[in-house]
Amino acid sequence: MSLFSNLHRETKFLAKQRNLQLLFATIFVLSCFAVWSGISETTSQITTIERLIEKDTIDREGVLAKQSDYGSAAYYSFHLTYSSPSNMAFAAIGQRDIYPWKHRIRMLAIEGQIYETDADNPELSFLGRFDFAFLVSVLLPLFVILLLHDIRSVEREAGRYDLLVTTSKRQQRLWFSRAIVMCSALSIALILPFIAGALYTQASLATTGLMLLVVLGHITIWMTLTLTFTASKAAVKQSSAKIASMLLAVWLAVAVLVPVISNIAIEKMVTSPKGGDILLTQREAVNDAWDLPYSATWDEFLSTHPQWKNGIDMGPTFEWKWYYAFQQVGDQKASKLSNAYREATLKKDKLASHFAWLSPPMLTQRLMSSIAQTDTYAAMRYEQNIRNYHKELREFYYPLFFTENTFNLDKMSELPKFSDHKEKSKG
Amino acid sequence: MQEEIIAASSLCVRLNNQTILDNVNFNVAKGEIFALLGGNGAGKSTTLKTLLGIVPPSEGSAAVMNKSVKTDIDFIRSKVAYLPESVMLYGHLTGVENIEYFLSLADITCSESDIERALVRVALQEKAWRQPMSNYSKGMRQKAAIALALLRDAPILFLDEPTSGLDPNAIDEFNQLIATLAAEGTTVFMVTHDVYGACQIAHRIGLLDHGKVVGMFERGDQSHINTEEVHSAFSKRNKR
Repeated sequence: MSLFSNLHRETKFLAKQRNLQLLFATIFVLSCFAVWSGISETTSQITTIERLIEKDTIDREGVLAKQSDYGSAAYYSFHLTYSSPSNMAFAAIGQRDIYPWKHRIRMLAIEGQIYETDADNPELSFLGRFDFAFLVSVLLPLFVILLLHDIRSVEREAGRYDLLVTTSKRQQRLWFSRAIVMCSALSIALILPFIAGALYTQASLATTGLMLLVVLGHITIWMTLTLTFTASKAAVKQSSAKIASMLLAVWLAVAVLVPVISNIAIEKMVTSPKGGDILLTQREAVNDAWDLPYSATWDEFLSTHPQWKNGIDMGPTFEWKWYYAFQQVGDQKASKLSNAYREATLKKDKLASHFAWLSPPMLTQRLMSSIAQTDTYAAMRYEQNIRNYHKELREFYYPLFFTENTFNLDKMSELPKFSDHKEKSKG
Repeated sequence: MQEEIIAASSLCVRLNNQTILDNVNFNVAKGEIFALLGGNGAGKSTTLKTLLGIVPPSEGSAAVMNKSVKTDIDFIRSKVAYLPESVMLYGHLTGVENIEYFLSLADITCSESDIERALVRVALQEKAWRQPMSNYSKGMRQKAAIALALLRDAPILFLDEPTSGLDPNAIDEFNQLIATLAAEGTTVFMVTHDVYGACQIAHRIGLLDHGKVVGMFERGDQSHINTEEVHSAFSKRNKR
């Protein structure tokens, strides 16, 4: 008998089991909710960004019109930076829940503005957001266990097992076909809402395909694990309830314990400065500068910007060029900590990627976040985009501070514009 | 010499350090109805399960159609129709759907009229054919399972306590059906603790006690085996 005939028989068999149909309907509803929740969140983020872009320009133009010198213009005007969600972000909100995706920055020292808040979201630290990635990485194994834990034992308990195995031409094909049919129905219930979501957000075919591969891969892992366990000697004499308990213990270990323990281990293994330390270092440097002789600031500033050595003469009154120079020095003093923070974040992420091999749910979540461009790397790319943009602002203003004396509002139309450098069509 | 269909030779089965079958020897010829008789825990079902490849032999050999249960179990299972003691088919499927499902497991395609003919032959009421099996009595389930065995058209029938729980009329009908099948060349191997039923239907009876065959009774020229003789031997053994 061909595998196809086996699958056809088991599909007809499944179609007559109302309890399973109810379960698949529930999973379908959960998947719809997860996709809807993700789309709502990303739509809200996009709307917020669009609204802020519009307000940002109006606000800046209003502020600049009231200024009479470049220093005040730089001091009072804000600049919006943002990281738009990719078209696939609805499926895995990922680190966008933890790291900020919008900042309004000024020409002041930048590191303190980036690390004004530490990356932390205690409300979501345990369960996470109910998005498609959560459904697939955390709940999907439970669905597979629920469907397959008693694939053999329920037949033993009902007294049908011997009849089934002696009647079946190839008994392994019976269990395999039954498992394939149930897992296919589970996949359809999970995937259909996701595909609808991907079409709605116009996600690319490649990322949609990759996401589907991850989902199917995760189902295959748990199907193989559950089938192997239920066929093992350890499960032969166990009741369905005991087999379910043992498989749930495995799920608990890999979906909860491994991530928690690996997080503790990573925190012990990697020493990282806190965002607050960076902020404090930078602010102390800025505040101290007011009480120090001008030369202390200029020496530090000129070590990185020697091109302005001829423009550092100071009059008897306050001058903006000195003010922005010590903001620059504040960043320079905080840069060591800031680099250490970024290196530690990358190291933690790399270690987490190793630990993820022990936990299929963790690995699945990481892969989905990576495909959706909502992982740690995406968050760090955004941080770097902010730094790059802030650098462009400095490169625009410094010549004005050091060489121009008369404020020209028209010049402000040449202010660099922020771009999040994301090709939306890719996501 | 009649063709030997089932043979057990020095068959031993040990499970969890307990000897369940101890040096069991018997053989069953083509078209013969052989009953293995014994009390609870005598090892009857283990013998049947060993022949079906569900329980592996520890020593000795068991063969069906000259094929070893150790090496050719797929072949053996394709030639055997098995009727378990307590027939529990799928409650959410109808009688006809259950038969269709199990036949398709065995890679057998039957038309609905073939199934209906088999159900008529086992005297299952027509109104029950398309009812969910959860509504069936034990006797009705047994009949549906016998219909399944008939449709498999297997040359060998393995029956585990086949008349247990059936009413007297159903037992008579069942016995008649088995006798007809044997006359048509089907070999029947049954395990039972029903002395009277076994004597009525079997051509030969093996008496199993604590995993050993302790007696063999034959019909000879009589229409059935001497019930008194078997009962006396069975009672003595059970009183020990």
